[in-house]
Amino acid sequence: MLSLARRNISKAVRCLSTQADAPVYLALSNLLPSQNANEEVVALNPSVFAQPIRRDILFLCVNHDRDALRQGSASTKTRGEVAGSGRKIRPQKGTGRARLGDAQSPMLRGGGVAFGPKPRDFATDLPRKVRMLGMRIALSSRVREDALGVTSSLDWPLGAKTGPFANRIARLGWSHTLFLVGSSTGTSQSHIPLTPDEIVRAQQYFDPSAGLPPRLARVTRNIPNVHLMRAEDANVLTLLKWPRVVLDLAAVDYFERLLGLDVPEHLRIPAPPPPLIPLRFSRAIAGRSGKFSPRISDDDQGQDVVESVGERQMFE
Amino acid sequence: MSTLPRFRATAGRVHLFNLSPAFGSQKNQQRLGRGDGSGKGGTSGRGNKGQKARSGNGKPKAGFEGGQTSILKRFPKKGFVNQNEKTWAPVNLDRIQHWIDEGRIASSPEKPITARELLLSGCVHNVHDGIKLLGDGAEHLKTPIYITPSRASQSAIKAVEKLGGSVFCTYYNALALRDCVKGRTDRLSAAPTRRDDIVWYTNWRNRGYLARPAVDKNPLATERTKMLSAELLKFKQQVFKQIQ
Repeated sequence: MLSLARRNISKAVRCLSTQADAPVYLALSNLLPSQNANEEVVALNPSVFAQPIRRDILFLCVNHDRDALRQGSASTKTRGEVAGSGRKIRPQKGTGRARLGDAQSPMLRGGGVAFGPKPRDFATDLPRKVRMLGMRIALSSRVREDALGVTSSLDWPLGAKTGPFANRIARLGWSHTLFLVGSSTGTSQSHIPLTPDEIVRAQQYFDPSAGLPPRLARVTRNIPNVHLMRAEDANVLTLLKWPRVVLDLAAVDYFERLLGLDVPEHLRIPAPPPPLIPLRFSRAIAGRSGKFSPRISDDDQGQDVVESVGERQMFE
Repeated sequence: MSTLPRFRATAGRVHLFNLSPAFGSQKNQQRLGRGDGSGKGGTSGRGNKGQKARSGNGKPKAGFEGGQTSILKRFPKKGFVNQNEKTWAPVNLDRIQHWIDEGRIASSPEKPITARELLLSGCVHNVHDGIKLLGDGAEHLKTPIYITPSRASQSAIKAVEKLGGSVFCTYYNALALRDCVKGRTDRLSAAPTRRDDIVWYTNWRNRGYLARPAVDKNPLATERTKMLSAELLKFKQQVFKQIQ
């Protein structure tokens, strides 16, 4: 069927192998029309791209991601916050009616809300290893469904107009595709904002096209069912939401170094910290103490660890 | 029979709409005061009236026993809490030897084992106020080790030196220990100021780093250490005149 053929990005060249650690071979796809299509093959780490599917792990990861996305800004006024005086509305005795205090009680119309929502942080914790396993399962499920493609590099050198790119996407059958681009230097260059000023500034001046190839970012921006993002920003929810995923080789390298189970120490990328939330709704204020142990690193010369709310010294 | 995760065998692609949790992993919470059918409606399991049925804590205060002399009041207070007390993280010789055999830790006279190496290799889990080297399993120690703990037991010192290693007990205050663990070398570590510490760390019996033999033997002794040792050992020559 034509639609079936269009849906598959690249069939995994399945090798008959009895070894459990045999790599997954995938024919390289190409965003641009090229002569040597389907001649190059990439070998993928099986611990990242050939995991058995665990839907319960995906369920946990998706819920964790969606909880973190919640704005948590629903707010109501309690009886203490509703405007009004504290005057007793009617005498305690003698009126024959129920006794009442001030006019802001939740019993009355126009009064405050009892136990109403307040702005709070809905983010939940999930063990780092479960999050990483979820990423591996999500990538493996896309490989299994022949819905994952790898290109050598993600870029669009054929001009700045969206039209030709949209035509190419339609011809390839790559609608509803997520493009993941890894950083070119091989290590994640994203600077994690640490100080309160940096966090506020990162929230105010969010640049959505930072770290993306500019030509491709421009050309995909106006196409609603195609999305380009950095591999570092991908999570399980994103990978499952988009039916097709196309990685470039740098992104494949990033995922294998982040998630691979037998990665040598000098190549390993540590798991990214959970998404930072604005300081207003930080966990310390929402009632959970944010305990962070100071990181021990060799490049700590002359830099003091940031003292934020709830940080605990390692030896106190 | 091992317990395998139970989940419905859903065939087909993985979408956001066909995920479900592991069977039995997510139990609904009990909600009180929501009707008779739940069994916890009405008084919500609190019975009728009384102090315990009210909102809030339901108890006057912690430790209150209804007026009976509480367990906290029956017995007298005793003693005091020593503010200068130090908790040393113990590490025994057999554990260090095991770490050396596995290749997780190594030492030389120029790069001795410090709190940082012990912590990063997992030999100790927490440095507390400093490391104390103890001699349990001394018969398993085979390699000479060069170590600078905060304290060391006599049997540990003897066992280490018998094999040609060295122990120099170094004074670490809280800041110095933190710098040692974090690998910072831009600051100087403070010398001991308290009399007890000065007496202890200038004593060669303890292998204190400020003792004369230690300063001579330690390849890492700097000019500053030699100066400190000379100054702090002056107490041995001090004579106090009798006031007539």
